[in-house]
Amino acid sequence: MVNIPVLRSITEANALLAEALRARFGQQDVLVLNIIASPGAGKTTLLERTIEKLNGELRLSVIEGDPTTSLDSERIAAAGVPVVQINTDGGCHLEARMIQAAVEQLDVEDADVVIIENVGNLLCPTGWDLGEDAKVVVASLPEGDDKPLKYPMAFATAQAVVINKVDLEPYLPAKASVLRKNALQINPDLAVFEVSALTGQGLEGWVDWMREKLAEKREF
Amino acid sequence: MHEASVTQAMLDMALEHAQGQRITDIHLQVGRMSLVVPECVEFYFEYLSKGTLAEGATLHFETVPIEMTCLDCGRQADLSDWEDEQPRAIMVEALARGCQCGSSNLRITGGTGFHMISLEVDAAPTTKKAKENEQ
Repeated sequence: MVNIPVLRSITEANALLAEALRARFGQQDVLVLNIIASPGAGKTTLLERTIEKLNGELRLSVIEGDPTTSLDSERIAAAGVPVVQINTDGGCHLEARMIQAAVEQLDVEDADVVIIENVGNLLCPTGWDLGEDAKVVVASLPEGDDKPLKYPMAFATAQAVVINKVDLEPYLPAKASVLRKNALQINPDLAVFEVSALTGQGLEGWVDWMREKLAEKREF
Repeated sequence: MHEASVTQAMLDMALEHAQGQRITDIHLQVGRMSLVVPECVEFYFEYLSKGTLAEGATLHFETVPIEMTCLDCGRQADLSDWEDEQPRAIMVEALARGCQCGSSNLRITGGTGFHMISLEVDAAPTTKKAKENEQ
């Protein structure tokens, strides 16, 4: 019997590739956001509204992750920004190698912000670094205000939480204030935005945060 | 469901390090917040390792506790008395206690990984293919 020491991370290949992507995005002064949420939380609608808000001010590009279909990338293309669709063919999350392939199809150097819409899933995507500057969780009120309690890892590793569909609050037992409190309990530094992507309520704060993040990145 | 691809990556890593020798044991560390379920890994491993030099190997899992570090002074929070609690409860408790330096600016810095620590192999190659690899 011979013992062979290994001492390596199983996901080392992903981590190394993510770091290489981060370095590349850094050289090109591009802010990269990794949007994580459950299916139906309103990620794509939030992106559509964000594109409208920043139209003519910042150049956005989008990488769309879905198990199947190009439905989301068609919506983003219709909103008028460059988009690449990744189909994971059933896979539950995006990985750095998929982002590397996607950025070959985008003129990243011509973008100010690249937004990656991860596969709708609050669990698996949090474990995979994509080379992003920040993870952003979108949590919609109809899902319930207890999501930070059930999926702490997503909220613990994010820099911002967008609470979506707050226009429905009068009709729901869930409260935006409770969701906010639950999220801040495990991550006090989170920037929290209460929005309705559908009505446009509260979007200015979210868009301002993106502007600030980009400015911060370009200072260095 | 990502355990299937994680298990394949783990198996590939083991076979690479074994260099054609039969693997009998694989020692792994799984963080409390790694999103990896050892029972799933075992299940997929049995299937994926069939016909490889790792077939029949025993997987040993060691759990790595959640580590919270103070961003202001760099100290790690002592959570040894809370190790068996739910991950979220551990994080909330760490933030509530704060750091010795007075800061409550703590972040999760460990217990999120999945690592291969070591392998045990039979010194003599046992299959024809392995012997070919040796040469």
